[in-house]
Order: sequence, then C-alpha cells, then structure tokens
Amino acid sequence: MKRFLLIGMVLVCLPVSIRAQENVEHDNILKVKIGSGYQLDSYLSPLGYTGMQYGLGNEWWQAFRSDSRLGKAGKLDHWAHVGRVDLSLANYHNSAWSNLFLGFQAAGGWGAYYEWRWFEDRLRVHTGPYLEGGLNVRYHAQNVNKIVSLDVAIDVMAMGGISWSFYGKKTSYRLNYLLRTNLIGFDFLPEYWESYYEITEGVPGQARCSGPWNHNTVKHELTLDLQFPHSTWRVGAEHEWVSYGTADLHFVRNQLSIIVGCRWKYRIRANERL
Amino acid sequence: MRIRNAIVGLVTVASLLTGCRSKDEVRFSMDPVENIEALWQIIDTKYCYIDTKGIDWSAIHDEYVTKAAVLQKGDQLGLFDLCAAMLDSLRDGHVNLYSNFDRSANTAWFDTYPANYSSTLQSLYLRDYRVAGGMYYCTIDEGRIGYIYYSSFSNSFSVANIDWIFSAFRECEGLIIDVRNNGGGDITNAYSLAALFFTENQTIGYWQHKNGPGHNDFSELEPMRLDASLMAGRKWQKPVVVLCNRRSYSATNLFVSMMRYAEHATIVGGVSGGGGGMPLSYELPCGWMVRFSSVRMYDREKKDIEPGIEPDIAVTMQSKNKDDIIEKAIEIIRK
Repeated sequence: MKRFLLIGMVLVCLPVSIRAQENVEHDNILKVKIGSGYQLDSYLSPLGYTGMQYGLGNEWWQAFRSDSRLGKAGKLDHWAHVGRVDLSLANYHNSAWSNLFLGFQAAGGWGAYYEWRWFEDRLRVHTGPYLEGGLNVRYHAQNVNKIVSLDVAIDVMAMGGISWSFYGKKTSYRLNYLLRTNLIGFDFLPEYWESYYEITEGVPGQARCSGPWNHNTVKHELTLDLQFPHSTWRVGAEHEWVSYGTADLHFVRNQLSIIVGCRWKYRIRANERL
Repeated sequence: MRIRNAIVGLVTVASLLTGCRSKDEVRFSMDPVENIEALWQIIDTKYCYIDTKGIDWSAIHDEYVTKAAVLQKGDQLGLFDLCAAMLDSLRDGHVNLYSNFDRSANTAWFDTYPANYSSTLQSLYLRDYRVAGGMYYCTIDEGRIGYIYYSSFSNSFSVANIDWIFSAFRECEGLIIDVRNNGGGDITNAYSLAALFFTENQTIGYWQHKNGPGHNDFSELEPMRLDASLMAGRKWQKPVVVLCNRRSYSATNLFVSMMRYAEHATIVGGVSGGGGGMPLSYELPCGWMVRFSSVRMYDREKKDIEPGIEPDIAVTMQSKNKDDIIEKAIEIIRK
C-alpha cells in the first residue's frame, strides 16, 4: 500500500517541479467542478451507486524552453508539456437509498505534446503521450471488514486536443476539446474474496498490468475560454468513464462535471545582476 | 432562449452520459424470488462453512424459492422474515441481514448453553472499579488479585491504559481477565491484549480465505503471527486466568484460543462461542445488507475454532450468592 501511495505522491509532485522554469510562459487554469456520476464497485456491492461530486483542479501548459517556438534553422518547433492535479469528493447512494459511499479522488499527470497551428494560429491541434496516476477511495460505512475500497491506477495515455479561436465585439473566445485514453499501465485490484485484514497481511496478486484489453479509461472535456480585457474565464463540461476489473470484480466510474475556471498566464523572470 | 437551449442540451447530454450503466450491475429490485435467489447465491459462493456444517444448501434453495414465489410483491416484512429464516439454517452468529427496519440474528449458537454469567453476582466482586480503555478493573481477594472485565473488543485501549491498570495491580499475585459475554469486535485489540502475556513472537493460528465459488475453494493455510512487541513490550508474567462462556464470541473466541498458548494462563468457565469465521458483507438487489462468515480461522494445531474453545477447567455457575467461575479463578491463583 505504501508503495502505491508513494508513487501517487511522486506523480502529483513531478509536474509541479518541472513547471518552475524561467523565461517560459506558463498558461495556468484553476478550476472548480461540480457534477453527477455513477459508480459500481462490485468489491463492496453489486448495486450501482449514483450521486454528486465536487472538485478542484489545476492545470498548466507551457513550452519546454523559452525559445522552443523557433527551433533549429528557423523551423517552427511546437513541443510543449502539460500537467494536471485534480482532487474531488463524492457522496453516492445506492438505488435503494439504503447505503452511501463517501468518495475521495485524486489524480495527477504530466504529458508532452506536439502542436500544429493553422489559420493564423486560430486552429490548433495537439497530440502526445500523457502519464497519469489516480487514486479513488470509497468509504462504505455499513460494510463489515471491507469498509474501504481503493482503486489505484497508473496509466500511460494517449492525449489529443483541438481548439478554435474566434472573436466577438468585446470578447475573444477559444473553444477547446481534449481527449485522453489509456494505453498501458498498472492497476491495484484486491481479490473479491479478500477482506482488508487479509490484504494488509500480504495476500499476493493485487497489482497487474493493464491496457485496453482489461482497463478502459476515457476522459474528455469540452470547454470555452472567454477572454475579457483583464481576465480570462473557462466554462465547460468534463466527462470521465473508467471501467476495469477481473472475472468477479468490476469497477466502473462514469462522471460528468460542469467546470468553471480562471485562466492566466505568467512568466518567471531570471535573476539579473544589479 | 439560446441560454435556455444550451442548458437543456447540457442536461440531456449529462443524463445520457451518466445514465450509461455497467452490464455487471445488479438492478434494484424488490422481487421476492430475485432477492431469495441472490441471497442463496451469495451464501452458496462466499460463505465458508456450508460443507463443514453439513448443510444441504441445495435443498434450502428449493424450499425458500418456493416460499418466495407465493409472497406478494411489496411485502417487505414477509421477504425479510423469509430471508432471515433461510440464513438461520446456517446457525452462525456472524450471519445477519440488515434492512432499514430490522436486523436478523441467529441465537441458536448460545441458547442451549448455560449462561455462566450474572451481572448481579459479578457486581459482588467488581466494586470500587475504574474504567480504562473499555476495561473495568479493580482488585479483589483483599488486594491479592487484579480483576479486569472487558465487555467488548470494539473498545480500543492504549499502552497508557495498560500502564495504569498494571500499576494498580503491582502488588497482586495474579490477574483475572473476564471476557464472558464479550461478543467480540476488532481482532487487532485481541492481538494487543494477548501480546501482554507472550514474550516471543509466534504463530498462534492460521487462516484460510475463500478463493473461488465452490464450497471447498480455499487458499492455503496462512499463519497468524502474534507480535510480542505490541503494546510497547508491556508484559504480565504472573499467573493469569481467562474467564469465558458461550457468549465469548468472534474476536473474543480468537483471544481465548491465543491465550491457551500463553505460559502462565488458564482458561476457566464454559466453552467459548466460536465465531471463527471472519465476516464480510454484501448487498442484495433490494439494498439490504447481508453479513456472513467468509474467512476460516484455526488454532495452532490447525483445528477449526468455529465450534468454540474448550476451557482448561470447565465450571458451570450454580450458586445463587457467588460467582462460581470467579471463585474458581481465585482458587487457581491462590495455589
């Protein structure tokens, strides 16, 4: 368990350390999320659970170097990277309203991407790899010996996005669509028969290699950036669908959230001698 | 108008996206036959004592599905009673059904045994007591013996609690730990309490979890290790007598089983209640929760502890004006 928590912490912290570069423009988006969702955790219950979740997220986009827009021989070089941290709390009930899950989700990731631009930079398309670690904890107050269920996954994902800028009378807009889906990774999976007493005693076989054959993750979002004279705001929707398991154990997470965020750019200046 | 259309569109998309359910999900249903079938299936595949107890689970299926078929839909009380009756055939104190209006429990495992406990008679000994970490403690027999009554292993205790209790008993020649009518709780507390009486780490039993749907699909026996350094190495090395009765159940049964291997310990009273199967819970299509034994526990000789632990010295309470079991413990320590 400690191993998985440590890996999760490293994944959340890694992008934060990478981003602190001098003379590079950082494009930061801080957002709040509220939404509804559905979860199935057959380790705890065969019934599906639905409810609300509330979250906070931060993401940042930046070039690798200050001169990365213009590479060797004057050729345009559009390699850049993106990092994200998302935290959310959820309150789900079963369809009989006889039980509750209280959930906590944490996800962090980092990816590099290549971006193409057309029509005077108004249309942008990017794609690249993305590494993400996710932790989803559910507390099930009325269960016995299995009051908590955990699913942990680390995935290498394919990431892609498209955005289109257009202009109003006083405001400019950018419409964004982003998509991530898993390629290969690791899952933590308790055996259905195990209680957490047994898991902590070291029953083997709790981690496995995952991929599209046994684990499906699709995360996508449609957002609109509204650029006013002194601030830029983001509104939109984010959808996450995760499904994985074994023969007798299945996790499903299907969540849709409304996003409201604030976007700003900044640049860290290098120290200069006086 | 545009904003309203956008909101309607967004809500529609949200409903479609989050409305996608898993094919593995069991749908909510109050249908009696469906719930009896689901309950039968859960026990058939996950309960760990069907064959050990010689239960004809297939015959029970036929009997109760027939009864469920004549139940009216919506008769929740009738369905609950039917499910509870089916679970009763397992004769297991770890088997319960929980609904919003009732909880079923089997009592057959202690009903036919002597009570071997009277709080009235106990109060003749438990006087001027203090309470630390859920343990009632005082000295008896003119200060020569320490007496602890621990009524539930759900009550946690700390090293500081133990230090205070041992300090109060520092002049005592022996200790009585009374776990009669202690229905169990957290087994980590059972380990912690037992560790006070062991000086070396050791295997004190085994457990075996179900790893498949067959009645006899179990993992290999895995040792249960007692860590003697628990409770910061605090030790009691004078005589100790553990008092138990049939209602010493579950984690208490495990504690009694472990104490048989302690060097200065004697078990006195009646056979303990058993409850050697560690329970798990699961839900029925109607949302009720069923709890059942899923993990089998054994003693160091690989003997199943589900039937209960026989005491070293069996005593049945008969006197009207004294607690025969406590008296026997005093006699053992005086020797």
